[in-house]
Amino acid sequence: MKPALASLYQAIELRQPIPPLLIGERMNANGSKRFRERLLADDWAGCVEIGVEQEKRGAQVLDVCVAYAGRDEKRDMLELVRRLAGTVKVPLMIDSTTPDVIEAALKIYPGRCIVNSINLEDGGKYLRRICALLKKYGAAAVALTINERGMAMTAADKIATAKNICDIACGEFGLRQQDLLFDALTFTIGAGDETLRDSALQTLEGIRGIKAALPGVGCVLGLSNISFGLASASRKILNSVFLHEAVQAGLDAAIVDAGNILPLATLDTADREICLDLLHDRRREADKKPLTIFIEHFQKKAGEVTTKPTNAEEEKKPAETALTDRIVAGSKEGLEDLLEILRGRMPPVEIINRILIPAMRHVGELFGRGELLLPFVLQSAEAMKRAVSLLEPHMPVAQEGHATKVLLATVQGDVHDIGKNLVDIILTNNGYKVFNLGIKVPAEVIIEKARALKPQIIGLSGLLVKSALVMKESMRQYREAELDAPILLGGAALTRKFVAQDCAPDYDQPVVYCADAFAGLQAVRDFEAGKLHSTTFDETAAAPFKPGLKNVEISRDNPVPQPPFLGLRHIREIPVTEVFPYVNTEALFRGRWGYRRAKLPAEDYAKILAEKVQPLYAKLQQESIAEGLLQPQAAYGWFRCFSRGEELVVRDESREYIFGFPRQAESPHLCIADFFKTEAEGGDIAGFFVVTIGAKLGERSQALFASDQYHDYLMLHGFGVEVTDALAEYWHAVMRRELGIGKSDPATKAGFVTQDYQGSRYGFGYPACPDMGAHIPVFALLQPDALGITLTENMQMVPEFTTSAIVAHHPQAKYFAV
Amino acid sequence: MNRPQQPLAQQRYICANCGYIYDPAIGDPMNHVPPGTPFEMLPEGWVCPVCYVGRDQFDPLD
Repeated sequence: MKPALASLYQAIELRQPIPPLLIGERMNANGSKRFRERLLADDWAGCVEIGVEQEKRGAQVLDVCVAYAGRDEKRDMLELVRRLAGTVKVPLMIDSTTPDVIEAALKIYPGRCIVNSINLEDGGKYLRRICALLKKYGAAAVALTINERGMAMTAADKIATAKNICDIACGEFGLRQQDLLFDALTFTIGAGDETLRDSALQTLEGIRGIKAALPGVGCVLGLSNISFGLASASRKILNSVFLHEAVQAGLDAAIVDAGNILPLATLDTADREICLDLLHDRRREADKKPLTIFIEHFQKKAGEVTTKPTNAEEEKKPAETALTDRIVAGSKEGLEDLLEILRGRMPPVEIINRILIPAMRHVGELFGRGELLLPFVLQSAEAMKRAVSLLEPHMPVAQEGHATKVLLATVQGDVHDIGKNLVDIILTNNGYKVFNLGIKVPAEVIIEKARALKPQIIGLSGLLVKSALVMKESMRQYREAELDAPILLGGAALTRKFVAQDCAPDYDQPVVYCADAFAGLQAVRDFEAGKLHSTTFDETAAAPFKPGLKNVEISRDNPVPQPPFLGLRHIREIPVTEVFPYVNTEALFRGRWGYRRAKLPAEDYAKILAEKVQPLYAKLQQESIAEGLLQPQAAYGWFRCFSRGEELVVRDESREYIFGFPRQAESPHLCIADFFKTEAEGGDIAGFFVVTIGAKLGERSQALFASDQYHDYLMLHGFGVEVTDALAEYWHAVMRRELGIGKSDPATKAGFVTQDYQGSRYGFGYPACPDMGAHIPVFALLQPDALGITLTENMQMVPEFTTSAIVAHHPQAKYFAV
Repeated sequence: MNRPQQPLAQQRYICANCGYIYDPAIGDPMNHVPPGTPFEMLPEGWVCPVCYVGRDQFDPLD
């Protein structure tokens, strides 16, 4: 895995394709007067502004150092880190020598930052303390080559110190070598100190030696120290030449004033030579020190500014890193121009393989670490898709490619495809060839397509309990058909245990459980690496809890309310505005949309909600009304009934319908039928409903997917799911009121979640009654066909955004799982 | 700004799938989790008491 840093907005690799990584140094209370003055005045906006300026000038990481005598460093650090995290796009470098301050900053920073710094000054106590924090918070670090004797001056001492630090950090604490940036220390060669005359050479040698001795580690330098004491115009030039030399020696990152670095090619040759002489301590005149020549030379030129306009050499870096940045940031801005430049340098396939795919890989890693939210991942995928489609016209047509081929399908009878489509999006945009067969695909078709298309991997998905059974049953068919591709399984009703015990044994290739789209991506990578294995299940692991009531006696003396009518009714127009207040926005934002708070400070999450999520929700509400995307309808009814063991016998005029419900195998052995009175007890009343928001929203969301608008697709789809749930919640409330048991709704949204009302509703296909077969009598009772609602061969309802339930009024009726 | 962060032990968590809120002050009586149990200390195998998703689906609330 490539080492990288990340902010809320983007990730930056520690090893840039073209080094160095530029770390902005101006937010330093000791090094920058301007920053110090603002800090001392508590001018936070002014401090942040210095960060923003550096970012604009090209800094890819920002160093933050607020330690200042008489100030509360921790308070200042937290204040600034919080503000910067939401404002600047680049990751931060936490620069402090106080463990408490470092820990506090790591704790609140919503991303992966780098700590500046660790060292061996006290023999290892401080180092160990900070390494434990680095490990805990997954941060990278700058390691200074300082030991108990002080700052390492010679190359040999620098290298030895680096080794010692590495032994402790990686050996004892398990940090990754690639997450360490060693600073071989820069001393000024501008002050005329004889003992420092060759210090630049020692530093450059140190960098070479550290990189050779410790493969994988990086090197960083605080650059501007080198020229301390010299005139500022000449400092800029010396710094730039030194940076170039250091990069030649293997430097990966530099702590600099980003705007003050000059491209080597723009420098005057004479200036360069004089700088090199000074750096390498070379004498061109026997009796004149290189420093003296340097000072005289630049005094002569004083006033002359030696910057030429940028040229191709300089543009080379921005185009490659800018493309990576675009993908990671999910921005399509200027892709055409960037790709145009890059196509001048390498074939399109190279652009895809060397820049785009690594960028997407990185996006996946950030998501995996919880540092990038799903909506942003989809925006990255959109940018990727756009970039690839811009390159395609320039690629040879017949290029079959060596990409692994994956066949995807939602299984027979299942219409839910958001999960499968996310897998499609993620795989396609990581460079794999995906054949997406769509929904409701029978095993026979999967076999036929697998033979024709020869995918190396097959991925099957389905939402409901029934789909899990379909997957289990089809395994033997795939074995008999002698398919030879591993099968990945995903879907809400699946568990690791089910896949390991019920699916894997019936197929000869690996059968792998994938919890989400990224697990699917990982499985494909494992396959390529030859290490994909069937999911296994450890029986000795703790059994999952089965929540729900325990030790309950279902009371038999509850009154049976009077329904307002018997039989069915169809409600063809339900005002959308009645439904919206019932939307479970927490589940929509955090669950369906993936806007989790996760590691964010509460204020930052509140900010994202206020600035991004709530406006999006409001926009979708308005659009869906304006464009008629929502057409809420209900088919519902009240029926006489009685329970008979685990059955509920429902009467509609002269006909009887039998609903069989499963009973829990363990205490308290609940069954839905228990909540209804028996014939001997005088019978009971059951409510049923089927509600839908119609087909339009689903059609629109499919069109978004088809046109690669992944982000909008997920947002609209999630909105549809939760509005459908809200419609069920709303209609359940209407039915409670009809029975006279629901005068007021729960006071809060959370009250609906925990069913703080009388009775319950049980959705068909969900944990208390997983059998979708009950839809046959439900459809006979409610005739929702008249509203355009139909059943698939697996008893799922179409349109997708439709849901059904049985309504129980018994006060003890609450959710449970069989 | 400068609002004290929620002490870890009292941090409430919300189920991203259904919106159920785990409040350490209340615990999860249905599953014999006593009041005062921090989210991090919930027993192994604990799932959302409303929708049964695993603990990884929970998000810090406030």
